[in-house]
Amino acid sequence: MSERPSIVIGLFDSADALMTAIDGVKPKQLGKLEAYTPYAIHGIDEALGLRRSPVGAMVMVMGLLGALTAFGFQYWMSAVDYPIVTGGKAPWSWEAFVPIMFEVTVLFATFTAGLGMLFLLNKLPFFGHPILASKAIAGITRDRFALAVEAGTKDAKHFNAQAAEAALIAAGASNVELLTVPQQAPVFDSAFLLRALGGISAACLVSGFIMYWTIKLFPVLPPMSHMLDQPKLGPQRSSRFFKDGHGMQMPVLGTVARGNMPLGAATQDEAAALLNPLPRTEQVLSVGKQKFTERCAVCHGSLANGIGSLTAAYGAKPANLQSQQFRDYSDGKIYWVIVNGKNAMPSHAADLSVDQRWSVVHYVRALQRAQNAKDEDVNIP
Amino acid sequence: MTDSTSKSPSLLIAATALGGLGVFFSYVKAGPERFWANWIFWFVFLFTVAIGSLFIVALQHLVSARWSVPIRRVPERLATLLLPVTPIALIGLASVPVLFPGARPEALHNKLLAGKALWLSLPFFSARTVLVLCLSLFALFKLVRGSFRQDKTKDPNFSVRARRFSPLFMILFAFIVTFVAFDWIAGLVPEWYSDIFGVYLFAGGFLAALSATTLAIIYLKGKKRLSEVRRDHLYSLGTFIFAFTVFWSYIAFAQYMLMWYANLPDEVNWYHVRLHGGWHVITVTLAVMHFLIPFFALSTRDAKSNPRRLLRVALVMLGAHLLDLYWLIFPVLGMGPIFSWPELSFALLFLGGGLLWVRQALSWGEDMPIGDPFLREGLEFRL
Amino acid sequence: MSSSALVGVLPENLRPVPLTVGVVTPGSLDDQVLAFPAKRPPRAWFIAIGITSTFLLTGVALLCYTIYKGIGVWGNTSPVFWAFDIINFVFWVGIGHAGTLISAILFMFRMRWRNAIARFAEAMTIFAVICAGIFPLLHTGRPWLDFWLFPYPNQRALWPNFRSPLLWDVFAISTYFSVSLMFWYLGLVPDIASMRDRTKSKWKKAIYTVLSAGWLGAASHWRHYEKAYLLLAGLATGLVLSVHSVVSFDFATSVVPGWHMTIFPPYFVAGAIFAGFAMVVIVLVIVRETMQLKNLITDFHLEVMNKVILAMSCIMGYSYFMEGATAWYSQNEYLLHAFKNIISGTYGWAGWLTISCNILIPQLFWFKKCRTSYFWMILVSIAVTIGMWFERFVIIVISLHQDYLPSSWRIYRPTLVDFGILFGSFGLFFTLVLLFARVLPVIATTEVKGILPGAQPKHGGHHE
Repeated sequence: MSERPSIVIGLFDSADALMTAIDGVKPKQLGKLEAYTPYAIHGIDEALGLRRSPVGAMVMVMGLLGALTAFGFQYWMSAVDYPIVTGGKAPWSWEAFVPIMFEVTVLFATFTAGLGMLFLLNKLPFFGHPILASKAIAGITRDRFALAVEAGTKDAKHFNAQAAEAALIAAGASNVELLTVPQQAPVFDSAFLLRALGGISAACLVSGFIMYWTIKLFPVLPPMSHMLDQPKLGPQRSSRFFKDGHGMQMPVLGTVARGNMPLGAATQDEAAALLNPLPRTEQVLSVGKQKFTERCAVCHGSLANGIGSLTAAYGAKPANLQSQQFRDYSDGKIYWVIVNGKNAMPSHAADLSVDQRWSVVHYVRALQRAQNAKDEDVNIP
Repeated sequence: MTDSTSKSPSLLIAATALGGLGVFFSYVKAGPERFWANWIFWFVFLFTVAIGSLFIVALQHLVSARWSVPIRRVPERLATLLLPVTPIALIGLASVPVLFPGARPEALHNKLLAGKALWLSLPFFSARTVLVLCLSLFALFKLVRGSFRQDKTKDPNFSVRARRFSPLFMILFAFIVTFVAFDWIAGLVPEWYSDIFGVYLFAGGFLAALSATTLAIIYLKGKKRLSEVRRDHLYSLGTFIFAFTVFWSYIAFAQYMLMWYANLPDEVNWYHVRLHGGWHVITVTLAVMHFLIPFFALSTRDAKSNPRRLLRVALVMLGAHLLDLYWLIFPVLGMGPIFSWPELSFALLFLGGGLLWVRQALSWGEDMPIGDPFLREGLEFRL
Repeated sequence: MSSSALVGVLPENLRPVPLTVGVVTPGSLDDQVLAFPAKRPPRAWFIAIGITSTFLLTGVALLCYTIYKGIGVWGNTSPVFWAFDIINFVFWVGIGHAGTLISAILFMFRMRWRNAIARFAEAMTIFAVICAGIFPLLHTGRPWLDFWLFPYPNQRALWPNFRSPLLWDVFAISTYFSVSLMFWYLGLVPDIASMRDRTKSKWKKAIYTVLSAGWLGAASHWRHYEKAYLLLAGLATGLVLSVHSVVSFDFATSVVPGWHMTIFPPYFVAGAIFAGFAMVVIVLVIVRETMQLKNLITDFHLEVMNKVILAMSCIMGYSYFMEGATAWYSQNEYLLHAFKNIISGTYGWAGWLTISCNILIPQLFWFKKCRTSYFWMILVSIAVTIGMWFERFVIIVISLHQDYLPSSWRIYRPTLVDFGILFGSFGLFFTLVLLFARVLPVIATTEVKGILPGAQPKHGGHHE
């Protein structure tokens, strides 16, 4: 423990008195001069010979860095890593990146100014300064102005505390105090390090467990789970909305499946007026041929003459579509039979779409013409 | 005491006369549209500098600023530019049928313009212009003539009256600048609208007036006048220029970004013209000159109080305001950014004439408002 | 009003007004202001905090209810998808701006009178931003996933959309909160150092020591501090403009008629300052009366703030006028319809309420009698607070409830939960204000000490 006083501090009653004292004491070169005041005094920096603060330059540099960082990460994220066009705006829309760039610039600049000033330049927080424990501090933060002569680091041995004290008193100081800087015992010994490491590991383990269980458990707690288990209708689910408690209900009477509008003709004669909407193209006829072969040929025969492969086993007599009766049928009547069935023939509406049915009608017509061809049909120009 | 400078500004007069000659010929040779575009450009420039200077004066009265009292005479003298601007504006009314589609009879058949064709027509336009000029001149007499009188009478009641008048001036100013902006500039493309436009012209005009004021002060200090005006005063001016550079940039960017974002056809065409066909170079130059250069040139404390730095920045700012108005007005001609002998002639005439007027005005009254009760306090201002 | 033709004798309204009343020394300042955190607060404080806590707890309960049940318990529905949530958000952010203006912008303009009220104003900013921040975090619907808003590498391989003004808001509000907190804390450091050296209680001394970071008042530290403070004030000034402009971009970048107006950025900033100053006036009147601080928060302070309110009201009037004039000038039928809805229709009453409270009633402040009377200034300030809340209601609800497609037009009705959370946010704000007044110095004693007469040396360096 060093016994030599290395700070001599005296109090003054006004800012003017302090400034006068500085002018008196500084030329004597007794040590490093420092002033302690309750608020910033104009002109004291020059009087003490303090250099200008570099905070401005630091803030400028970090602000620019913030601007570049902001533009950089927005550009990379929006235009390079996962470029998407949103709202018609190209991935590299610099106009849209300006607001965030501005905010991040201010953020970087602010933290540089605040924390840089505190940590870097003023080396605060520091609770070991002897003046904090002195009698003078109560006056300093209230309404007194203090001037201190401090031993510099180089010439600590040559510091003349008595001369400093005399100089301060001569300049008009009251309550002159001599303070010593306590010797600091080394903080980082092995026991401390072991304890610190142990504490850190324990903290990591505990927080790790907490994080793990939080991530596993949290999403299944309500209300987070509300989206996982939603009160909506699914297959086989019950529902209190309907009287019978079933979620699955029959469609309302009169519901029509898409693509399956009702025919609008109750009897075959009513259907006679229906017109074939499809044109007689090769494509339509090939669809008709395919469907006829699949569905109709087993009974009606591949030539639509009523002799199909099932006839013998079946016992019923399928219509011979080549007969005059059926050649006189209008398209609509054939269509009606496909949809509703006739006699022993069942309805084929479920198996054939509307277009397919009309294609089949075209094909039947083609078969009829082919089997009852006239000379004019073979027209060699 | 001040005296007019010893030698007569013969070079300036000659340049102005040459400009006048060129202007006269340009009507015939370059066509009425180009002639009137130049005329409107210079009218708006001189008007914004003048009314902006009057705004500076009124602002100082409004907040009872003390630091600015020693330099207040300078913007007062600059504001007298309103006097020559008045006939320039009235002559400029002849441009309305030439350059303003809203004033032509075809507007009545245009779906977008028919509803406001009456507002845009020449009689209403002229009435608004006359109203704006009357209000501006009224404010000029109230604020500036009273200040000159106070030099002799030393009557502190003028300061009271000026302080009472300044809030009313602010309200009048808002409408004056808005009307000029919408009538003379936005009216060139009457289908377009942007309600921030009045604020935009205010920002540019205020900056131009601040720059002109700074320039004049440094000029006077160079002539060993205004010797008691210190770096502390210059620092405050520099801070204003810095802050309002940021403000102008913010307004300009906000208008652009909002129109870019929504991409609506009625609004975006105005920018489309200015981003293609040669104008995009002017747009980028404007951003550099009106924002980047002054922002970085004035960011440090020392720069804001350094007379040489301020001189250069003030010149750049005035150039930037000219470029801004050029960028606002000239695209209406449908050509790229043109600059040839008509533009040069107009520049010689109006810039020369303006400088001659200002030169004369700088000899009116005392260099500082010596009748103002707060002059002493203003001179003692320290940072 | 006296008038005088004699040189040197100033008329009454030109005479300089002292910033403090009576004799104030640094010591008496400390004794007056720093005594509050040291002693037990009066009964009125406990009653007040009881009331505000009740509102706060009701708000919290309803907030939890909203998170549990979902946003359906609010009135938001098609097409009014933004309602009380965003109205409250914009309202509270706006109120925060007055604090930053007083502490930062007025500092930049060297308006010394700001020193006495800056601390309280900054605290109000922080509390207002806290109240504001709750709403965007809550209105996302699944607030526990709000962290998705931040750009961090994730297994969805997605980044947030930087082209959206809603994301700009996230950055702007976070930055504003951080910067305000930093600015406030740095201003507090010397004051807490004063409290550290006054207090007799050991545990309080320990806390103050830590919080004041070992501040000594060294001149070498002051020079860094002052420079940093000046820079922070300049940066905060930029924030005042930018944060509320970014909030206005939420609306102005859209194509909703009535929202896409280029004047929104400065109009919102002016409105924010307007609403904020009104709230500051209300709070300061209460503070100076209950804490006997009339010698520091003087009549002059209140009158100047009322003048600012009047000026802002005129700017708002200009903005409303420009909106209406542009609606006509644009000849755009949708814009005209949106504007007509403000003054007529289902919500026309809200439009008229807004215009009366924001433009007409504050005109009373042209009269000095109203600027200096408690009754009138509180009346005007409350009117402004209500008017500014309704202005956001007008902007959001009226424009949304009838935009381009008539088949989507609907009437919006708020629910009790909406109101409860709104009043809860007021409860939060005032609870925090009351706690602040109890725990920390409400006036920046260090700053006021620096502007007292005789505080600065007469001789000593003048910078050239």
